[in-house]
Amino acid sequence: MSLKEWVFTTDHKRVGVLYLIGSVAAFIVAGIMALLMRVELTTLGPTLTANPTTYNVWLYAHGAVILLGFQIPALTGFAANYAIPLMIGAKDVAFPRVNAFSVWLFYMGVILALLTFVMPDPPDVLWTGYPPYSTITSGNTAFYTLTVLLIGFASIIAGVNFLTTIAYMRAPGMTWNKLNIFVWGTAGSFVMQLIYVPVLGTAVLLISFDKYLGTSFFDPTNGGDVLTYQNLFWFYSHPAVYVIFVPFFAIIMEIFATFAKNPIFNYKVAVYGGIWGIVLVSGEVWIHHLYVTGMPDWLRIGQMVTTLLISVPVGLMTISLIGTLYKGSITFESPMVYALGTFFLFLIGGLTGIPLAVTSLTVNLGETYYVVGHFHYVMALTGTLSIFAGVYYWFPKITGKMCNETWAKLGFLLNFIGANMIFWRMMEVGVREGLPRRYYDWAQFPQVADDQMFMTIGSVILALGFAITVLNWVFGAISGKKAGDNPWGSQSLEWTTVSPPPHGNWPTPPVVSEDWSPYAYGKRA
Amino acid sequence: MAHEAHADAVHAHWDTSIWPFVISFGILGLGVAFTFQFVYHSSFAAIIALGLGLPLILGGIAGWTSEAMGKGEGLSFASMGWFILAEAMIFLSCFAAYWAARLNAPDWPPAGSIELPKLIPVIMTITLVSSSLTIHKAEQYLHAGNRSGFVNWLLLTIVLGLAFLGMSGFEWAHLIGEGFTIKTNIFGTVFYSVTGLHGSHVLVGLAIFIAGLFPAIKGNLSPGFWRTAGLYWHFVDIIWFFVVSQVYFW
Amino acid sequence: MHKQRKLWAGFAALTGAGSAMAEKYIPTTDRVVDPAAGWDRLWGIVLEDITLLGIAFALLCAWLIWTYRRHPGNPESNPPVLSMGAVLGWSVIPAFIFMADDFYIAANGWNLWNMQREVPADRLEVKLESGMYSWDYTYPNGVQTQNELKVPAGKPVLLRMTSRDTIHNHYLPDFRIKEDSMPGRVTYLWFYPKKPGQHLVTCNEYCGVNHSYMSGKVIVLPPQEYQAWYVQEGDKLKKAAAPAEAAPAGAAPAAPADKAARSPDQNQKPV
Ligand code: HEA
Ligand code: HEA
Ligand code: CUA
Ligand SMILES: [Cu+2]
Repeated sequence: MSLKEWVFTTDHKRVGVLYLIGSVAAFIVAGIMALLMRVELTTLGPTLTANPTTYNVWLYAHGAVILLGFQIPALTGFAANYAIPLMIGAKDVAFPRVNAFSVWLFYMGVILALLTFVMPDPPDVLWTGYPPYSTITSGNTAFYTLTVLLIGFASIIAGVNFLTTIAYMRAPGMTWNKLNIFVWGTAGSFVMQLIYVPVLGTAVLLISFDKYLGTSFFDPTNGGDVLTYQNLFWFYSHPAVYVIFVPFFAIIMEIFATFAKNPIFNYKVAVYGGIWGIVLVSGEVWIHHLYVTGMPDWLRIGQMVTTLLISVPVGLMTISLIGTLYKGSITFESPMVYALGTFFLFLIGGLTGIPLAVTSLTVNLGETYYVVGHFHYVMALTGTLSIFAGVYYWFPKITGKMCNETWAKLGFLLNFIGANMIFWRMMEVGVREGLPRRYYDWAQFPQVADDQMFMTIGSVILALGFAITVLNWVFGAISGKKAGDNPWGSQSLEWTTVSPPPHGNWPTPPVVSEDWSPYAYGKRA
Repeated sequence: MAHEAHADAVHAHWDTSIWPFVISFGILGLGVAFTFQFVYHSSFAAIIALGLGLPLILGGIAGWTSEAMGKGEGLSFASMGWFILAEAMIFLSCFAAYWAARLNAPDWPPAGSIELPKLIPVIMTITLVSSSLTIHKAEQYLHAGNRSGFVNWLLLTIVLGLAFLGMSGFEWAHLIGEGFTIKTNIFGTVFYSVTGLHGSHVLVGLAIFIAGLFPAIKGNLSPGFWRTAGLYWHFVDIIWFFVVSQVYFW
Repeated sequence: MHKQRKLWAGFAALTGAGSAMAEKYIPTTDRVVDPAAGWDRLWGIVLEDITLLGIAFALLCAWLIWTYRRHPGNPESNPPVLSMGAVLGWSVIPAFIFMADDFYIAANGWNLWNMQREVPADRLEVKLESGMYSWDYTYPNGVQTQNELKVPAGKPVLLRMTSRDTIHNHYLPDFRIKEDSMPGRVTYLWFYPKKPGQHLVTCNEYCGVNHSYMSGKVIVLPPQEYQAWYVQEGDKLKKAAAPAEAAPAGAAPAAPADKAARSPDQNQKPV
């Protein structure tokens, strides 16, 4: 096992592990930015820095790095790479070199994002990069746009690669309705990536043009329009939340199935109604991020309805998820503990999206800490913890070793407590006081002092939980107990090969029979 | 898109390729060069970064093509459809920005615009359409197993593509000479951005052709590669119709 | 001179390009309601709704976890086989319930939305121009204030807003309303100050370094007090303008002309 075989690898499993390492590193950096912000917000006036720009740069790095460098790559990079070829019984992806290209492009994007901390005039445009501020700031908007472009390009070629893989490289006998739900979820997410990432790419490209070449796409004094950017941006960035949501929800479903020893409840409805329903509606709701920007009323009301209707496919997936427990025989190893806990966080996060979907409520709630609470529940907690559930789930396959169960559960407990301390309180503060987000200082709101302190304590507890988790993986990979090929007793194909799988995955490619199913559990099986 | 598929036997070793890694660093070099030039106003540093980045990219592409050429199993053609979907969205977003500006403008073309020439775009259209036909012809020769016929028609396609870019460059030079630049107004912005974006796609298409040309001359012909490259070229051609109709003749 | 031309082109863009998509006209009504009270009511409804749903799903999940945990009486799973009817039942019925709930929320939301957007005919209209980092208000008689919006109690207030630099957002937490102000477009919001008092105005869209310090006040005065202030400030303005009128034509009138060009209330043409 040489370093060269890792760095220049074209094997999907190693590419997946490279994605995991890069994205966890990005998570730690972005998480530390969050801690700095939390500490800064603890007291009125300056705490760590007297310069608001410093705070804004942290906020930029937190939002942009965590989304572009952690969530999307961890799901559509790590999880997809590692699991999909194994789940469909393929030896590798359709284009292994393109796959390696995409992971390295992702690393280049992360490197550019990290240059933020060493170059002068770091970007302070936040993850949304709205003009005119992003075109007039003295900060380095180019780092922002180039990071988006590099990582965006990486996702596009990954999407092309995986959709081709799923369509043409399934094992003989593996029909569409025998696919793991995770394969479906990722396929849906890559379809969205292919349609919407280019729109984001164009939006930030035009920002660079405006700022550095003197064009006037978003400059109203010369015929442009500032809202064009916001429309293009959210046309991607709303679907982006479903690019994250669909695969992570599918990971939870996989774990529920494995540990309840049950097939996915109402599988076809979850796939065709749930996943593809979300893909279908995802492109018609972006205006809910522009409710207070003076868009025409018919758009604001029309997309209020479409946004609310997203609860139908999501609700169907939810029913499939908890239905999977019905008549199961549930055991509670660490992946399942993560998955179950995450479900409750998801309920809070998803349901608090409903008031935001209502235009007339958003005119008060929008852009306050209520929104911050909502999306941390649904993305920072459900998303992150389901990714971590997935890592714990596939860990024995990846390394051939087991993680320590006790530390895993302790980490989760701390996460769960800390998370609720911060983000529940954020929603309260948002509704009660209307505290706006993206504030370096809360001078107008002295009454929230106690809340800020409480949230900062919560964030330390949360961070402790994450630190335990990351360390647990490191120790597990080095000195964990040996795991068998199939420690969880799963039926799905990835567990039929040895752990860790060799290059090519199986000595002889698997063929699946008529009555095979990835979820053939229980008395009937 | 490169085209290749997994090797057939299970290897005891792990497959590697250094070219993706090399190209990625080259692309990072381009990004860094851009920031040095436009953000930190240091052309010197920018040229160094460019000087590191470009060779890495070109060398990487050459290495990649010679390593992978001919190992394809035809999946590249299927995947090109997905890639084209993504590309189409890029153009659609640009046009959306253009429509948003134009449909809200009090009068059009905005002050400062000049009359665009009408003849050149027609000639350009004819050139590009012919190049679509010539690459099609080349592919037919390829299928018939006629290598020299294929190479000749491919060369003709490349020449037509270059001619197209030449005319585009000539037109840009002419318009800029008359004082109509990308900064003039929203129309200048759109005109140069959209034609430039399309031109860059023509350039990429030509790069793909040229990257495959040398293996082809040496006798390494991969029908999958050429079918895919041809599809991309037709796409670039079709997009041009939108550019012409939206930007020149509306 | 050249610079000035550019400025005028900018104004043309403001009135022309901007107005085409911005609020060309503002729906007006005779009814006077208080959208803030409506907001509180709807929030209560939706909160109850999502709490109920959340508790229902959470309890169901908890019950399933408890009942079907692996224990000696349940060593193996026994997955149900769904008949076609069950498949449809488990998708169509919940889908309809969810949709019904969605439409119920949407209908209530739309209702409140109409209250928030239809401005009572009897109102005070103030223009707002935001900039890094201040709120600049202009009253109908030309009086200007900064970061302090004085209004009479009991009269709806309409703000027509634009921005001279980046995007800002005029947020009135006490009145449960906010809207962006941005260059090149005109937006509006209205609120109904019932009783004398002070309320916070705070910027709710990231607009630059001092975004978090961009705040102001709405000062609601008893009607007579407000009237007195308004007239007095108006008189001051007239006095200041009087000597200018006497001065040679050309220089001074530029200011009013400029105002007129940007006046929102002429033929409903926004700023
Ligand atoms: C993974 C990420 C993720 C996910 C899945 C979601 C899911 C949803 N989000 Fe969220 N959202 C974000 C990430 C996410 N969001 C982010 C990052 C932002 C802020 C961006 C920024 O400005 O920086 C944001 C902001 C945001 C806004 C804009 C607020 C503002 O800026 O003013 C809105 C408004 O509509 C919204 C709504 C919703 C809705 C309706 C859902 C729905 O999909 C939720 C659906 C789920 C459920 C409803 C629960 C389960 C279903 C049932 C139990 C069935 C029964 C339910 C009903 C019938 C209601 N979100
Ligand atoms: C998936 C996405 C994600 C995640 C996981 C998080 C995680 C966290 N976020 Fe984040 N957040 C966003 C997405 C996310 N956030 C987005 C999109 C925004 C909006 C940005 C914008 O407005 O532009 C935002 C904004 C945002 C704000 C609003 C700031 C403002 O508006 O002014 C705050 C404030 O408290 C905050 C806090 C936190 C905290 C405390 C965490 C914690 O969960 C973080 C805890 C994690 C760590 C601390 C790392 C832990 C790891 C270690 C310590 C490992 C140790 C190392 C070894 C052992 C090797 N976030
Ligand atoms: Cu003005 Cu924020
Ligand atoms: Cu959204």
